[in-house]
Amino acid sequence: MAETIPPEERLTNLVVALMATEIGITKHQILESVSGYRQRVEAGAKPDALEKMFERDKDDLRALGIPIETIGDYADPNDLREARYRIPQAEYDLPVNITFTPAELAVLTLASSVWREGSQSADARTGLRKVQSLGIDVDEPIIGFAPRLDFASPSFSAFQEAIERDAIVSFSYLKPGETSATLRRAQPLALIDVENRWHIFAHDADANAERTFLLSRVVGDVRATGEAGSAALRADAGERGLAGLRDLLERQSAHLEVHPGSEAALRLSSRMTSTGQGFDVHYLDEAIFAEELSSYGPEVRVVSPPSLRAAVIARLQATLAAHEGEVTP
Amino acid sequence: MTTPKRPLLAPDKVKIYLALVPYLAERGQVSVADAAADFDVTPDAMRRMVEKLTVMGLPGEDGYWQLDQDLFNINWDLLDAEDIIELTNTVALRRAPRLTAREAAALLSGLRLVQSLPGIDDDGAVSALISKLSLGSSTSPADVIVAPAAADVVRATVADGIRAGKAISFTYQAPDAEATTRMVDPVKVHVTSGEWYLQGWCHLRHAMRTFHLARVSDVSVTDEPITHGADSVPELFDLSDEDQIGTIRFPADVASLLGEFLTHADQETVGRITVAHLRISDPRTLKRLAARRGGQVEVLAPTTARTTAHEWARRALEQYTDITAT
Repeated sequence: MAETIPPEERLTNLVVALMATEIGITKHQILESVSGYRQRVEAGAKPDALEKMFERDKDDLRALGIPIETIGDYADPNDLREARYRIPQAEYDLPVNITFTPAELAVLTLASSVWREGSQSADARTGLRKVQSLGIDVDEPIIGFAPRLDFASPSFSAFQEAIERDAIVSFSYLKPGETSATLRRAQPLALIDVENRWHIFAHDADANAERTFLLSRVVGDVRATGEAGSAALRADAGERGLAGLRDLLERQSAHLEVHPGSEAALRLSSRMTSTGQGFDVHYLDEAIFAEELSSYGPEVRVVSPPSLRAAVIARLQATLAAHEGEVTP
Repeated sequence: MTTPKRPLLAPDKVKIYLALVPYLAERGQVSVADAAADFDVTPDAMRRMVEKLTVMGLPGEDGYWQLDQDLFNINWDLLDAEDIIELTNTVALRRAPRLTAREAAALLSGLRLVQSLPGIDDDGAVSALISKLSLGSSTSPADVIVAPAAADVVRATVADGIRAGKAISFTYQAPDAEATTRMVDPVKVHVTSGEWYLQGWCHLRHAMRTFHLARVSDVSVTDEPITHGADSVPELFDLSDEDQIGTIRFPADVASLLGEFLTHADQETVGRITVAHLRISDPRTLKRLAARRGGQVEVLAPTTARTTAHEWARRALEQYTDITAT
């Protein structure tokens, strides 16, 4: 029995072998010669099982972003029996004309630390390592700042993956004030953090128009529909989505009376403009703004719009009702 | 940053090998400890990975065993005697791979946030980095954008104090308390959930304190050099000093909306209802949380906190009685 070669060795050997060839090597050559497969062939493993292993390995490497090229039969491109495989050096290597200064590396190091957890945190560190491996001198690290980003939702990654694959996904979306979620079909185009909330800017497949969703209102899993969207829709999507949110903020304004010197006055101060009688404050989402205004209790009175005023009153009434009398078990 | 060292899967290890080879090739000699820290693995794991590297390499010709020059090799004596890694033969992978779309996106969104820190992008360095990363990515990364924060004089001045290593002075308005004037040795600015916090040595309290920058005004940098900059900084939301306890009740699925309130809280969930005991400096301030969540969060104890929440909502509603109820 031949020694078992761990999968990471087999995969790394495969990368090295595919990079060393200009014209590509066939599956047969790979199984016969690359360490990790070769030993299994010698030990008498079934060809079917080995071919499946090779297919899985290719998928794993492609998932790591490694460009494996398949060169098929010129006469019949769909016939992969004699296909040759290679990794084009120019597509694999971090381009040589990209260089980083020590100061830039310090900024990048700080940027890589912002994700608190999850796969984004691991991705940022792996990305940083690739840049570090260019052998740049390290500047003084930037100390005194600890910026953090949070996504607090498992669907964040699902939407990001859908953006990268230009895929149409479906998800349940619960609008404020509605009791049941509706199913939406959309091609996500960008994830945008505005006022500390993640928004999904997407092309709604049913409405055939661009829409913005709040990540926190997505209920349950994000599902693949199997339908492909259009890569062209992604062009400048982030800027377009951000501009749309800014327009919305510009359009929506509440008129408030705020007690001077109060907590409300302090927290709203950077957003308020005085109108002589009271203040105007722009807001992005009525339900979320109603939550904030309710927390200020008697420190704020909502004059308009009527819908915001009603939402705040409803919250205060529910708060009052919840705290009537003794605690009930 | 410290993260728990979870077991690495095969693709994780491949990722490390692909970056480790160019890293070692570029540096010449690196200590096991340094390499382990840079790759976020234990020194033992790093040593094992480097040793394994010597059985990897190019396929042998025509089914023959690989020759020495086909394999990666290291300076074994140096590793054994001095714990130093040196590659002596490199058969491929001399250049780092391109960033994956994911890696680029994670760094790009980090850069967008870093860009909002005062003084970091003054010379356009971050913008230049953003375009470089996009070029260095194998496929186009998803747009993950953090909207820039508006310019803010308090944040900028605090950042100036940190860079200059000088104490800052400001007016601090704690929630539901009188404003105080503080002199603080600034140590670290935390930006989390869009809120900015300063940790520093407070000359008034003679201790490390955390200040919410939204509550800071009239800030200026003094000529006083900082003296407690090297003191250890506590956890951002360290509530262990608070001796008061407030008890709240809420539907279990609301927990994710309560965030920092629940750090260090004792919680018990029965059915779909959670009861949490929170450490808090003044339980009466729970009125704000209760009103924000509009009846979903109920203050149970102490009684003064519960009646305060009731009173808070009642007084707020009084403002609306002048007009016909909606």
